Order: sequence, then structure tokens, then C-alpha cells
Amino acid sequence: MVRALAERPVERAALESVLKAARWAPNAGNRRLHRFVAVQHGPTLAVLRMVSPGMFQRPTAVVLVCIDQRRVSAFGMRATAKSLLIDVGTAAQTMLLAAQSLGLGAGVVTSFSQAAVREVLNLPEHLSPELFICLGYPAPAQPPAMRPRSPVTWQDLTDWERFPSTGNRQPL
Amino acid sequence: MAMAPGLMLTEDEALELLSFLVTAARTQLDESPEYGPLRLLTAAGRLASFMVERASPATRALLAGPLGRMPDAALRSVDPARYVNELDEVCRALARHLVGHFGLDRTPP
Repeated sequence: MVRALAERPVERAALESVLKAARWAPNAGNRRLHRFVAVQHGPTLAVLRMVSPGMFQRPTAVVLVCIDQRRVSAFGMRATAKSLLIDVGTAAQTMLLAAQSLGLGAGVVTSFSQAAVREVLNLPEHLSPELFICLGYPAPAQPPAMRPRSPVTWQDLTDWERFPSTGNRQPL
Repeated sequence: MAMAPGLMLTEDEALELLSFLVTAARTQLDESPEYGPLRLLTAAGRLASFMVERASPATRALLAGPLGRMPDAALRSVDPARYVNELDEVCRALARHLVGHFGLDRTPP
């Protein structure tokens, strides 16, 4: 994740490469229930940032990942089905990796007013805005990364096989 | 107080707002999480009150209209769903104003 971006614009060809990568992101049942809105227009980016408290960076391009609720409904799925947000995540991760391979800086923003973003981009009613991928070229100086209070290894995050039957299934 | 065109805040007003935001960040650490939106909307309300006499007619209408109808903090615990809906409506009104103010609906990208 890159949190400070330079003013240099992202080339259209690079943005298209990121979008092409998103097309190949893993998604449940290959149903492709997501749509992407790409923005490079400076004034629009500035206003999007105004309604996105989590957008610390000043991207020169963004991709908004939306869920297409019309297609969700057509497949008979619930609007709150877990796989919908998982697929937002896989699309985001794929775009982050593609961006890095192109030498771009990228970061995810989920802290934004969905109601305001709908208005700013004049989104059709059936598209629900879920996540921004902010793109640009990395600035020379980066803010310190958010780190856990103590170092975390993959072993800290992993348990193996079935948990022992020690009465650990207590309600939260 | 007469100000240069386009300026919305005097230095004193800016300092008042700056102080409120910084100290609210600190007090929030010791307070209930539900005070967060309250403090932010209070700051927005103060900023609006500073701006309203100096703003363009369209912005003044926004400040006096939708931004003057921000949901009461008590509503959050009484009717959380309505609180969310009313805040979303304020966000929508704000976004519509931004689109017009910055000409997004007039300038082709």
C-alpha cells in the first residue's frame, strides 16, 4: 500500500492494464457481479476526495469497485451474500498487484460516504459503491506504515487442523 | 468584518475550529464512541456558521438548508436507522452541491 502519491498523472494505458487485470480476478462462480468505474478527471477526483474521509492520498486516478445489484438479483442471490464482498476484495487485491507490477503506487479506501459518491459520479441505482483503488506514482517520502503493536508472524495467525475439545467454544 | 473575496474564515475563527477539532480528537479517547459523529457535526455546524454570510448564494442555501437540518445527536440512540438515513441525506445534498459548485455536471471529463 502506498499512501503518498506524486502529482504525475497515471497514463491511460497503465490504468487500462490495471482494469484488464481486474477482469481476470477470481470471483465466485465466474458470475462477474462487479463493475468498475475509472476516474482520471482532476476536478472529479478532488470532489471524490472531499467526500471520502479515508482518502489521505491525492490519487491521479481511481477505480471504484461496485456491486451490480441488478445482476445479483438476476442470479437469485441475496444482496448481502458474503461472496459479493469477497469478490470485491479479490478484485482489489488483483488490481493492487497489477499496479505494483507497473511501478504505480496504490491504496485501498473504504471510508467514504456511499451516498455522496453516488451523487458525485451519478451512479445508476443498481450499482453500489464498495471500495476505491487509489492510483498514482509513489511520492519520494511516505508516511510511516500502520504496524501492529508487536511483530506478527504467519505462525501467530495460523492454527492447524481441528481445535482441541477443551471447552473453548464459548459465546462471544 | 470585511474580508478579501473568496475567504471564508478569519484567523480567529480558523483557530477556534482548529482548537475544537484537535481537542475533540483527544477527548474522544475518553468518551463514548457515539460522541464521535456528534463532535464532527458540531465542528461542521460551527464552520457553517462562520461561512454563511460570506458564501455564494448557492452555498448559503446549502448551509441554511440541508446542512442546517443535520440530525440531532439524541436520534442516534433513539432511532439509529433514521439517524443513518438523515445523515446520508445530508451527504447527498452536500455532494449535489459540490457537483454543481465545481462544475462536474458541465465540464466533460
